[in-house]
Amino acid sequence: MSMLELHDVTAGFGAVTVLHGVTMVVQQGEIAGVFGLNGAGKSVTLKTVAGIVPARSGQIVFDGVDITRLDAETRVEMGMGHVPQGRQVFANLTVEENLRLGAYTLRRKQRSRYAAALDGVYDRFPVLRERRAQRAGTMSGGQQASLSVARALINEPRLVLVDEPSAGLSPKLQGDLRDVLQVVKDSGVTMVLVEQNVAFGLSLVDTAHLLQTGTVVHSSPVADLDEETLATHLGIGRVLAGATGSALTTRKASR
Amino acid sequence: MLQVLAIGLISAGIYALFAVGVVLVYRGTKVLTFAGGEVGTAALYVTAFLVTTHGMPWFVGALVAVVLAAGLGAVFELGLVRWSRDADPVVTSILTVALSATIFATEINLYGNNPTTLKTPVAVGSGIDVDGVIVSPIQIAAIVVAGLLGFGLQAFLRRTDFGLAILAAADDSTATRLVGVRVSRIRVVLWASSFALAAIAALLVEPTIGVITPGYASTLYLGGLAAAVIGGLDSLPGAVVGATVLGLAQSFADRYLKDLGLSGLDYVVTLALLLVVLLVRSYAPELRKRLTSPVEVTA
Repeated sequence: MSMLELHDVTAGFGAVTVLHGVTMVVQQGEIAGVFGLNGAGKSVTLKTVAGIVPARSGQIVFDGVDITRLDAETRVEMGMGHVPQGRQVFANLTVEENLRLGAYTLRRKQRSRYAAALDGVYDRFPVLRERRAQRAGTMSGGQQASLSVARALINEPRLVLVDEPSAGLSPKLQGDLRDVLQVVKDSGVTMVLVEQNVAFGLSLVDTAHLLQTGTVVHSSPVADLDEETLATHLGIGRVLAGATGSALTTRKASR
Repeated sequence: MLQVLAIGLISAGIYALFAVGVVLVYRGTKVLTFAGGEVGTAALYVTAFLVTTHGMPWFVGALVAVVLAAGLGAVFELGLVRWSRDADPVVTSILTVALSATIFATEINLYGNNPTTLKTPVAVGSGIDVDGVIVSPIQIAAIVVAGLLGFGLQAFLRRTDFGLAILAAADDSTATRLVGVRVSRIRVVLWASSFALAAIAALLVEPTIGVITPGYASTLYLGGLAAAVIGGLDSLPGAVVGATVLGLAQSFADRYLKDLGLSGLDYVVTLALLLVVLLVRSYAPELRKRLTSPVEVTA
């Protein structure tokens, strides 16, 4: 059963069209990866699904409902969560205030469930419980990444859009982040992950959608993805023998 | 001494009311608004129209004026500010100057330079005698309301979801939308509240003088702007503290400089205070660094 469908979606800014008919399907419970070179339209795809960038044509269907013309806030109310690019925690608010804002729609609909949801998030991310009164902007990059994911999860979303989570993190912190996202995946939440770091992304996703100049040129489960396809569509042939190739091999072996 | 303190605190209450409105919009939008003074004056004309001309009770006229001021704030946001949201906040600040000039021109057109009278809500001369200065109930109300607003709104911002959303939207409006907050509604509420506060401030000031002229509240509003800057611009309690410092400084300067033959130096004191605060704020981090860094000893 599909959680998200994009049918021939075009979008852009002013006179510039960035997405030229993106089509992809994300199944319930899976992590779908969107990969591509700089300027391929990865983040714009995510922003269009989020409702931050309006779709000019085409159709976006979320859990069976056409959301193409709905605003970003309504999409959140319907069960969409976000881990924005650069983590974007509210730096001047405390950890708990960030989480309270993350649960903004949950608290409006069912305030009584908030305490349990907060406890659930603290159990999943104990470091946030320890630092609940700390200003988010003073935490390390890895802790901010955890907070950003936790803030998305506390609203109990059915679909989480994750935009380049590994950007700016050290390899050690990327490992920690992978563990965090794995926990989310194991909880059954559907995710769309946009990543510039293909090796990091391939270590997590179930299906890969490869974007070139605003069009999906390849979609398949990771198991069916070969190095040649990656090299052709992402132009990373020279480094394929390195981290990306090993990530792909590891993922295939784990299936 | 008590007399000087009382006059200083009365001024502080007025400045604080305006300053809280300035800080509220600045915290939520990073826009410095210059329209509060004329919005306040317009609210006084509306009240005078309803109370003096049509014989309505003062509190009813004042309530209508505050509601209309809030409505003007909402319309200003929906009609103008919203369309410049991607521009630099300075552009919106200039829009507030344009709004102020438009209201001022309308007042001149409708009333000319002739003073308009507005009945006071309490009897003239009633109040507490502080060392020869009669502090009226309205002046006491101004001080109390300013303090309550400054500290009450601060608690509101931190303790309610709507307040947190205001703070978050000021940090990053896109990220705030992505947690489900309708930032556009928040901005309407902020502008409406700020204009309503300007109207309340003007209404609490007016009985002290008793007559209205075009631009009446703008001079006082400048004091509110200065108080907001002294208080750090993004702190509501800071705005109240800034207003208190400014009110007392002006009052003491007026009292003691008069003995030296220097009177009417309110503006000079305000500007000097602003200059000192801005200089200290600019150089404080560098000074702190120099004072706390280890001293290099060379042989």
